[in-house]
Formats: sequence, C-alpha cells, structure tokens
Amino acid sequence: MKHLCLLFAFAICLAGCHRDKSSAATAPTLHLFAWSEYVPREVIDGFTKETGIPVDYEVYDTNEKMLAKLAPGSAQYDIIQPSEYMVEHLIKRKMVAPLDLAQIPNLSNLLPEFRNLAYDPGNQYSVPYMSGTVGIIINTDKVKEPVRGYADVFQEKYRKRIIALEDNREMVSWAFATRGIAINDVTPENLAKVKPMLREWVKMVKLFNSDDPKALLIRDEVDLGIVYSGEAAKLMDQDKRFKYVLPAEGAHRFIDNLCIPAGSKNKGAAMQFINYILRPEVSKIISDRFPYTNPNAAARKLLSDGQRANPASYPPDAGNLELFRDIGKANADVSVLMTELRS
Amino acid sequence: MTSTTLASPQSTRRPGWRAWVAFSPLLVWLAAFVVVPTGMLFVYSFFKNAGYSEVERVFTLGNYALAFSPDYLGNFARSTAYAGLTTILCALIGYPVAYHIGRAPAGRRNRLLMLIMIPFMTSFLIRTFAWTTILDHQGVLNTLLRALQIIPVLLNDKFEVLHTPAAVMIVLVYTYLPFMILPVYGSVEKLDESLLEAASDLGAGPARTFVRVVLPLTMPGVGAGVLMVFVPAVAMFAVTHVMSGGTVYLIGDVIEDQFGSGGNLPFGSALGMVLLVGFIATFFLFTRREKTT
Repeated sequence: MKHLCLLFAFAICLAGCHRDKSSAATAPTLHLFAWSEYVPREVIDGFTKETGIPVDYEVYDTNEKMLAKLAPGSAQYDIIQPSEYMVEHLIKRKMVAPLDLAQIPNLSNLLPEFRNLAYDPGNQYSVPYMSGTVGIIINTDKVKEPVRGYADVFQEKYRKRIIALEDNREMVSWAFATRGIAINDVTPENLAKVKPMLREWVKMVKLFNSDDPKALLIRDEVDLGIVYSGEAAKLMDQDKRFKYVLPAEGAHRFIDNLCIPAGSKNKGAAMQFINYILRPEVSKIISDRFPYTNPNAAARKLLSDGQRANPASYPPDAGNLELFRDIGKANADVSVLMTELRS
Repeated sequence: MTSTTLASPQSTRRPGWRAWVAFSPLLVWLAAFVVVPTGMLFVYSFFKNAGYSEVERVFTLGNYALAFSPDYLGNFARSTAYAGLTTILCALIGYPVAYHIGRAPAGRRNRLLMLIMIPFMTSFLIRTFAWTTILDHQGVLNTLLRALQIIPVLLNDKFEVLHTPAAVMIVLVYTYLPFMILPVYGSVEKLDESLLEAASDLGAGPARTFVRVVLPLTMPGVGAGVLMVFVPAVAMFAVTHVMSGGTVYLIGDVIEDQFGSGGNLPFGSALGMVLLVGFIATFFLFTRREKTT
C-alpha cells in the first residue's frame, strides 16, 4: 500500500502543480510532508480555498524515512509531521525552525496535557497534530482466546495470521515491553536480550504494513496484529468483529506534531497552515476521517458521543503508556538488528 | 548482447569529432548519473554509520564485514535464486513467444510486437498493483477457481497466492518477460531461411533442426535476454514488497531500507557496491562465454 499512497501523493502533487500555474501570481506552493492516511483532502483543499496557497502533500510511513528525505540537499518541505521522539531529535540537530507563537493563537485550543511537553518545552518548535497509541487489533470471529499483550499475539498458533507495523523501533519496543525492559532503554545489551525472541516474531508475521492495515484486516487477510489506534478506531466503526486492546505489558503513546523544517522557504504560510489546523472545526474533520486521539479541546467538544466513546481513540483506562525518547545513535543498532532479522 | 551489435565492419573505423559531439549528451548523462553517484556510494561504503541517516567520516571496513556475514550472504543467495528462477521461467515462456513472432509474416509481426510493448505504456507500479487485485484471496483468480469448484474441492478451501513467495515470482516473471522476448525476437528475425532449408534438405527433422541450427543461432539473443532479466531482477524491491507484504525481504529491499527507514547509508552503499561488482562479474562471464562459443 505504501507505493499506492506514494502514487496518490504524486497525483496530488501533479494536481497541485497544475493549480500552481492558474494561481501563479498569488502564492508559492506549501510543501507538506506528512504521514500517509493522516491529513484529509478536504482539510488541505479548505486551506487553499481560503488563502489561495496551493498545497502539495507527500507522504511517508516512518519517522526515520521522513528524516532521511529531510537530510540536507534533499527535497525542500515547509511542514513535516514528526512524532515526539523525532521532534526531540530534530531540535537537537537544529533541523526545525522555531515557531512564532504570536502567529499561532489557536495553540490555546489544545488541552493542557498536550502543551509544553518534555520533548519540546514551551512548544518552541512543535505543535501537536494528533495523538494515539500502538496496540493490538483482534478479529474476535477468528481469535477466540483472550489476547491481552504482545506475548499473546506472537504465538505459534497465530503464525502467518499476524499483521505488524513496518517500523523497526516499534517492533523492538514490543519485545522490550514483553521482557520487562523499559522501551526507551535501547542499549546493545538489551537488544541482544530480545534478539532471539524477535527473530521468532518476525517469522510469524504475515504482513508488515503501516499505511493501511485496516483494509487487510477487513478482507480477512490476517486475523490479529499490532496497529495504530486510529486505524483500529476506524475499523471498529466499520466492522463490529474487531476489538482494540492496549497491551498489558505497556505500550507506546505517540504524539505527532506539525513542525517547520529549518530549510523551509515558506515559513509564514507554514505557520498559517498550523494555525488553521488548530481551528476546532478543521480539527474535527481530521478526527472524522482519522479517529486518533484529538489533542484539541475545542474540537473534542464538536465530536459526537459515539466518536468520544470509541475505546481505541479515547481509551477509558489509559493504562501503562509511554512516549518514545530520542535514542540518538542507538537507532543505528535498532536498524542493523531488524534488518538482519528480516533478511 | 555485444557480439550481435558491434560486429559490423563500420565499427572498426575511428569515430570523428562529430561522433563525439553527437555522443556527448550520453557521456554527460553517464558521468552525472552513473559515475558520480557510484563514486559517492564507494566513498560512503567506508564511512561509519551514526544512525538516523548520519555518518561519521571515519574509515572502516565494518560495512563490508557485515555485508559478508552469514545473514546477508544468505540473503544474496536467496535474491540470486529468485532472480535465477525468474530468468529461467522468462526464457522458457519467452522463447516460444519470441520465435513465433519472429517467424510470423512481417505485417502480423509488428502487430504482435505492439502487443508486447503496450503494457509498457502504463506505469510499472500500477501494473504491479493490478496484480494484487487478481491474486487477492477474494480476487479474480480465486473467484474463478471457486466458481469452478477447484478451491473448495481440490484445495481443501485453502488457497492464497497474494502475499506469498509465489506472488512475488509471478509478478517478477510478468515484469521481466518482455526483456527476454525482445532480444530473442531480434535474433530469431535474423535467422537465415536458407540455413533451415539446408538442414531440412540434409535430412534433419524439425526437432533436430531446432536443436542443432536454430537454438545455437539464437543463443546471442537468449544471452542478452538473460542479462537483461537477471541483473535487474536481483536488485528488485518494489515488486517483492508489494506482492509479499514485506515478508520476502530480498537484497533490493534491504538496500532500499538502508536509505530510508534504516537510515544506514554506509551499509546500504556497501551492499550496493557488492551487487555492482557481482553484476560486472556476471556481465564479463557472459560476454566471455559468448565469444568462446
């Protein structure tokens, strides 16, 4: 699906270029580089309609891939959407530009618990877009035994019935949680400890997919797996067979943010876009299409009771959740380990 | 590939300055997009990985040591096996097709060639995704097999092609088949009719004529086809990822990941260099053997 998404992004890009010509006199294009299945078309179109600023939308499916494309000399983007640990990393490497909060008054719409977080004190560089968790999705028609945690998913009897996020760091964190290791304590010793178990897990997975796992679950290609909460929430709305479980061993709570790369040549428009996203009625559209945890208090008020009651979007018992921290060079070890296990 | 195209007597003449002018766009293109990037890969392959697509500019052979460790040697072997099987299947399927087209009357020949070329007019990725709708377990193939009662009766209700190694093979063969057909067609078309008549006059049956006359004379085309299929197939990544759902993880996928999620440029570069040396060796092996036969 990744490539399909890229294809769509390319098509949208073409459409964007086309529009670019018709309104060439008005404004340069805003280059948005964001997660696949995350920014609704109507939100982007709404921004262009209101401001005359054309937007092109290119997608990625891991933070690390985004970073690789952001490297100096690569394509120029005006808005990126890194998760919490990646924001921390980008700030350290001075790859993101400081925000002018005076131009983003709608920041006050965010719930206090999503402002001024440890990875970016004072929201100097980042504004939360959506939040969510990484947890277990189960097709209750196919999986009858209770599944409470990662260890229940990666069992021999579910071999080749499992879907997993295609994300090295995520998968390592599941193994860490299972072995009782703190998910941010990424050291060569800890990686060595989980290696044999991960080797088995990798073999049990039928599909690695981060962009669109719900399509594969709904067609019964796989029966259970580990997905983003927004995907799970949408799936549960469509199909009552599915259930979302936060792993008992502990899980990753992520916060995806909007940031402006240091190299952006269109920072004013980028801040305009961030402020637009923070409007309650715009943020609500995002929740309608991609039901992650909305950090926007004013937008949450606009949601239906049903949306707010979806246990994947708004887990009643927050449980044992943790943000990722920047692990710096240890990321290299994670990448080498996972590449070896999948090879 | 070389023996058929370069053997004409004109090629022994030294090119004049006009030829070099005509040639210069290609030289610039090769320098900018082949020589320079390859040089960069070569240099990067000796740097140290610092994670997150960063490198430490310190000399190390560690990337090559890792590339030649058992896990990756196994991966190289598996990638070669996939590409080898693709090449064999392409040759087995492509040869009769190319022969048929090459021996057809001129007008029909062009129409048949068009049929081979038409798929090239659509995007390669779109064609690959089209296969997912055919091979999906609720897709065209399975619906057909179910309607014919083959799946429930003969296959015990268990039949899945998409997201298996078989799906990868099917689409690899589909993708590279024209690259086998076209060069073989080229040498079939050049077959001298009088040689076939001579063989028949001298008492050789059709089978014998084919084995002793046609096959040796079309071998250069097959050789070119083998190179054109095998070399890109070893390093293919999009097809493997889409058709296997990320579980058939061949060397092309490994390399792609090093420049994306893996963020390990030096290791990706080292693997790329190893592949490149492998390709050059394969190429020389082939052209040498063609000359000796």
